[in-house]
Amino acid sequence: MRREHARIYVALVVLLAVALLLSASVGAFTYTPARIATLASQALGLAPATAADALDRNVFIQLRLPRVLLAGLTGAVLGVSGTLMQGLFRNPIVEPGLAGTSAGAAFGAAFVFVFGSTAFTRPLGTLAVPVLAFAGAFGATMLVYRLSTAFGKVHVFTLLLAGIAVNAVCNAGTGFLSYVARDPQARNITFWNLGTFTTADWRGVTLVAVCFALCFGWALRAGKALNTLMLGEDEATYLGVDPRRLVMRLLVANTLMVAVATAMVGVIAFVGLVIPHALRMLRSSDYTFLLPASALLGALVMEIVDVVARLVIPPAELPIGIITAVVGAPVFLAILLRQTRQGGAWLQG
Amino acid sequence: MVDVHGVSYAVKGAPILRDVSVRFRPNKLNVLLGPNGAGKSTLLKIATGLLSPTAGEVRYRLPDGARTLGTLSAAALARTRAVLSQHVDVAFPLDVEDVVLMGRYPHYGRTPRARDREIVERALDQVGMLDFRARAYPTLSGGEQQKVQLARVLAQIWNADAPDDAPRTPKALFLDEPTASLDVHYQLHLLEIARALREVDCTVIAVLHDLNVALQYGDAFVLLDGGRVALETDDAAAIPRELLERVFRVRADRAVDGETGETFWRFRL
Repeated sequence: MRREHARIYVALVVLLAVALLLSASVGAFTYTPARIATLASQALGLAPATAADALDRNVFIQLRLPRVLLAGLTGAVLGVSGTLMQGLFRNPIVEPGLAGTSAGAAFGAAFVFVFGSTAFTRPLGTLAVPVLAFAGAFGATMLVYRLSTAFGKVHVFTLLLAGIAVNAVCNAGTGFLSYVARDPQARNITFWNLGTFTTADWRGVTLVAVCFALCFGWALRAGKALNTLMLGEDEATYLGVDPRRLVMRLLVANTLMVAVATAMVGVIAFVGLVIPHALRMLRSSDYTFLLPASALLGALVMEIVDVVARLVIPPAELPIGIITAVVGAPVFLAILLRQTRQGGAWLQG
Repeated sequence: MVDVHGVSYAVKGAPILRDVSVRFRPNKLNVLLGPNGAGKSTLLKIATGLLSPTAGEVRYRLPDGARTLGTLSAAALARTRAVLSQHVDVAFPLDVEDVVLMGRYPHYGRTPRARDREIVERALDQVGMLDFRARAYPTLSGGEQQKVQLARVLAQIWNADAPDDAPRTPKALFLDEPTASLDVHYQLHLLEIARALREVDCTVIAVLHDLNVALQYGDAFVLLDGGRVALETDDAAAIPRELLERVFRVRADRAVDGETGETFWRFRL
C-alpha cells in the first residue's frame, strides 16, 4: 500500500467514526456520547440494565442504531457499486441509477409490495423483496450493458440512451404497479422510490451487511483486473485477464449488493456517481485504492446525508433520494460537460 | 519460439488467412510485411492468442517443451509474451507509474514486490520516461503515451538482469504497427530498443508499414499477400523487386546510400 493511499484511508476512517457518532446522537431523541456509552453497555450486559433507561435504550438499540448502521452500509454499497460500474463500463458517468440497476430493483420490489400475497412470491417468504429486486436489477443492468457495448467499445451516448430507455421501462412498470395498488401499498412504493432509512431494522442491517461483505470481498480481488480494463479489452486480455468473465462476475456481485440495499432502503441516486468521482479527483483511478476508499467515503457521505435528512424539517424527515439528487445531479452534469468538451477519447472510451 | 502451423481464419465465411505456416526466428526481430488487408494484424492477433484460428494452431516453444496456445493458462501466457498496440487511450486519471506497473500484474498477487517496482523504474528509464513517472497519463502527448506503453510491455516480459543468474525463460514481444503515431526519431529509438531485446532471449515479431525502416532493422521477413505467405526470408536483399511491385502495386527502385553503402527502396505509383 502506498503512503499517500494510507493517509487517505486514515483520514476517511477518522471522519467516518465522527460521522457515525454524530449520526447516532442527533434526531428526535438526542443522545450524548456519554449516554450512548451507557445505553450500549447496558444492552451488551456490561452494565446493569435500569428500568428508567428502558425506553431510551429500546429507542436507541431498536431504532437509532440499525438506522445508523444501515445508512453507513448503504453508502458503502452505493460507493463501491459506482466504482465497479464505472470500471466495467470504462466511463466515469455510470452509476446504479443510470445503468438501470436501481430502477430494475425498484420494479422487482414494487412487484412484491403489490402482489406480495400471491402464490408466486409466497414461497420466498421475507426474502421475496430482495430476491425479486435482484432479478429486476440484474435484468435491467445486463440489458444496458449489452446495448451500450454492442459495438465493442462503450459509447457514452449509447450508454446514456440505453440507460434512459431501460429506466423508463422500469419506471413505467413501477408506476403501473402503484396505480393498480391499493392505497397503503401505493404510498409505500412512492415513499420508497425516494429512499428512506426510517424502516431500518436489525434484519435489514444483517442482510445488507452479509451481502456487502461477500460482494465487496469478491470485488476487492478484481482491483488489478479492473485497472487493466482501463487500457481496453484487448490490452486486458494481453495481461492475462478474461474481460468477459470479469464483467459477468462483477455485474453479478454488484447487482446483488445494490438490489438488496435497494430492497431495504429504496432508490438513492447519484451517490454511486459522486463518490468515485471525488476520489479520482483527489488521488487516482487505481482501483486497488478506489474500491476500499469508495466504501469508506460512501459510508461517510451517507451518514451526513442522513443527519441532514433528520434535521431539515423536524419533526418530519426529508427523503434521502431528494437530498442526494439535489447535490448529485449538478456534479453529474459537470462531469458530462467536461467529458463532452474533452472530445474524442472520452466520448469513445 | 513462436510457430504458426497451417493457420486459417475466416470472418462470416470470408477468408482472411489461408493456411499460413511461419516459424518465427527465435531471438530475432521478425517483421511482418504486406499491403493493407493482407492479414498481418489478424496473424499477429492469432499468434498472441487474442483470436482463435478457424483452423491450424500456434505453438510456443518453452523450456518445458512446445505448448499449443490453448493449453497455456492466461496468466502463464501473459508472463511469456507482451503486445504493444498502435495506441492505448485511458479516459481516467492514472499515474504513468501505475500504467507501467500493470505490466507486472501477471507476476505478483495483491501487492507488488520490490523487484516489480525496480523493473518499472528500469523500464521507464529505458524508454527515457523516468522523469514522467508521477505524471497523469492522459495529460501526455501521443508519442509520450506510446513510450509509456512500451515501458509497460517491456516490464511485462522483463528478462534483463535476472537475479542470481537464474536461467532466462524465453519471451516474445509483438508490435502492431507501433510507430504509426511517432516521429522519426522515436520510431528508430523504439526499434533500437526492440532489437536490443534479442540479447535477452526475446523474440520480437513486428508489423511495420515503412518498408525501408523494416528492412533496415529486421532480421527475418514474412511477406503476406491476400492472406497467404508470399515470401519468407532472412535476407533483406533477397526480396525480389517484381514481388514488391506486384504485392504493393507500386514501382520500386533499389537505390544505394552514398555514405553508408546500404541499399534502400524508392517507391512510385
